[in-house]
Amino acid sequence: MPSIKIVPIQFAQVEILEDLLPELSTHFRTEVILGSLPRFDLSPYFNPVRSQYDANEIIVELNKLVVGEMKIVGVTDLDLFIPVLKYIFGQAYLGGNAALISGYRLYNSRYGLPEDLNIFADRLKKCMIHELGHAFGLIHCQQPGCVMLPTTYVEEMDQKLTTMCSSCFAQLRENQR
Amino acid sequence: MSKDISILIVDDELSVRDSLSNWFLEDGYTVETAEDGKSALKKLESFNFHIVLVDIKMPGMDGLELNRRIKSINDEIIVIVMTAFASVDSAVQALKDGAYDYVCKPFDPDAVTHIIRNASKSIQLSSENLSLQERIKSLINIDDIIGKSDSILEVLEQVRVVSESDSTVIITGESGTGKELIAKAIHMNSTRRFFPMVTVHCGAIAENLMESELFGHERGAFTGAQYARKGKFEMADGATLFLDEISTISMKMQIELLRVLETKHFTRVGGNREFKSDFRIICATNRDLKSMVDAGEFREDLYYRLNVFAIDLPPLRERPEDILPLAKHFIKIYSEQMNKETCDIGKRATKALENYPFPGNVRELENLIERAIVIGNGNTIRLKDLPFDKKPEDPTWESIDEMEHHHIESILEKYSWNISKSAKALGVDRATLYSKIKKYNIPKHQ
Repeated sequence: MPSIKIVPIQFAQVEILEDLLPELSTHFRTEVILGSLPRFDLSPYFNPVRSQYDANEIIVELNKLVVGEMKIVGVTDLDLFIPVLKYIFGQAYLGGNAALISGYRLYNSRYGLPEDLNIFADRLKKCMIHELGHAFGLIHCQQPGCVMLPTTYVEEMDQKLTTMCSSCFAQLRENQR
Repeated sequence: MSKDISILIVDDELSVRDSLSNWFLEDGYTVETAEDGKSALKKLESFNFHIVLVDIKMPGMDGLELNRRIKSINDEIIVIVMTAFASVDSAVQALKDGAYDYVCKPFDPDAVTHIIRNASKSIQLSSENLSLQERIKSLINIDDIIGKSDSILEVLEQVRVVSESDSTVIITGESGTGKELIAKAIHMNSTRRFFPMVTVHCGAIAENLMESELFGHERGAFTGAQYARKGKFEMADGATLFLDEISTISMKMQIELLRVLETKHFTRVGGNREFKSDFRIICATNRDLKSMVDAGEFREDLYYRLNVFAIDLPPLRERPEDILPLAKHFIKIYSEQMNKETCDIGKRATKALENYPFPGNVRELENLIERAIVIGNGNTIRLKDLPFDKKPEDPTWESIDEMEHHHIESILEKYSWNISKSAKALGVDRATLYSKIKKYNIPKHQ
């Protein structure tokens, strides 16, 4: 069973990540550890035209850090894009070993509201489980409330739960066998 | 649904292909990519993609040209063009050339998801439409009409011929011979099959309502006409109008009908607006229209207008060889409907059916079988299950052995092969009965 390594890269709320580890471990029934990449430089992936960072290219680099059976998840506060989309909350390849999450659009303050780190932590958890779900081979789910439901806006993300629906969960266990 | 949809992404930029491909894979679609128009066309030759996402600006063959080529190969493939803001004019051109929609790069994630979801729904509707058309085609196949007699085969050949034309058909035959079934078969095998067959049972409609039934009426045309209503002629536009029991319509209606048949124009009751309707007439009667014409009860001009192609359905008594196949057909239908195991018909019951004159024709046979399955036990219909008051025709047996054989068989059937009861009724012991069964080789129907 691949273990999961969470690595903050230019990410401020590291203690929130620490709090997430036990729940992720229970959900994915594997060891989840918090790592660090102090020398991981994201500036080469900055696109000046879009003022955003290219998630696909960063994931290629994260993939190089995978050792043995492992899923690595980078978490950053920077704004991410993929060439075809205006922005993303996170990116992972179906069955791939690396994923990337952006907290940039998960903060309430981004929308002119008072900051609430509990809400931020809740959104981050949903993004994390969603992208890890893809990394474990799950596709999007249309079941209302399921964490694998695709969402474009934080308002939609707030509507879903932090867990998978029963069929996605069963599929996850099947894929993990 | 998404698992059944395949998408081909055509873009010269690898990053775009990878991003889109991953995006759609996460949604559960089957995804392939191509880096230019040429390789896209090659992939389209070997696999039938449902949706093709095409970038407009590509070296070599551009997206506009690729869209045109795809449409010339298979018009049903949904092409969505991807463009930068600067080239919206090109996207509009692509739409004029048959593209389904366009998206501007970079996409709003919602926009592309919605376009693909709408395209998927459109594909689903098209495939449902095709499968429904296939189901309609197979609803009444001429070859599925039961009968092996020469007379019914001749009728089916006539149905086959007349289905291909748009001529008016008159079907004559005794009550219960299946005139409506033949009308349906003509309709279902004609080019009008995707429209309904509008049926008017002329005999069942009061004369004062007939006009409004056929022509419709405007609001306030008569007391109680609170709303405008379409008539059967209007409803049958593009379809077939089946007028059952045409001989029962009044002389006044005959004149009106003749006028509409000739012009295909009519007005609703109480209205001035003239409507046109493209319908095909099939009518049926159990009476001899020619003799009604001679007796002055049916208009001669209408008779000749209707009598373009006549099909006469023979009564069941004139085609006894069709009785058994029809009976077996009804056994299959009703035993399934009633969840019974009846699947056969006994020898004596068959003989009785074949000797019965069936004044009510196929309808009567159908009712007999339905009744027999309701009251019968076991998986064979026996003579006792049929409601014949009189015994079958006089037996043609000549020898005592033959008579004994049939008598024993009938007693066995009567007592459902209970040997003790049968032996008691026959006044013999069980061993004698067994030896007689063996001697005459009487088969036991389960």
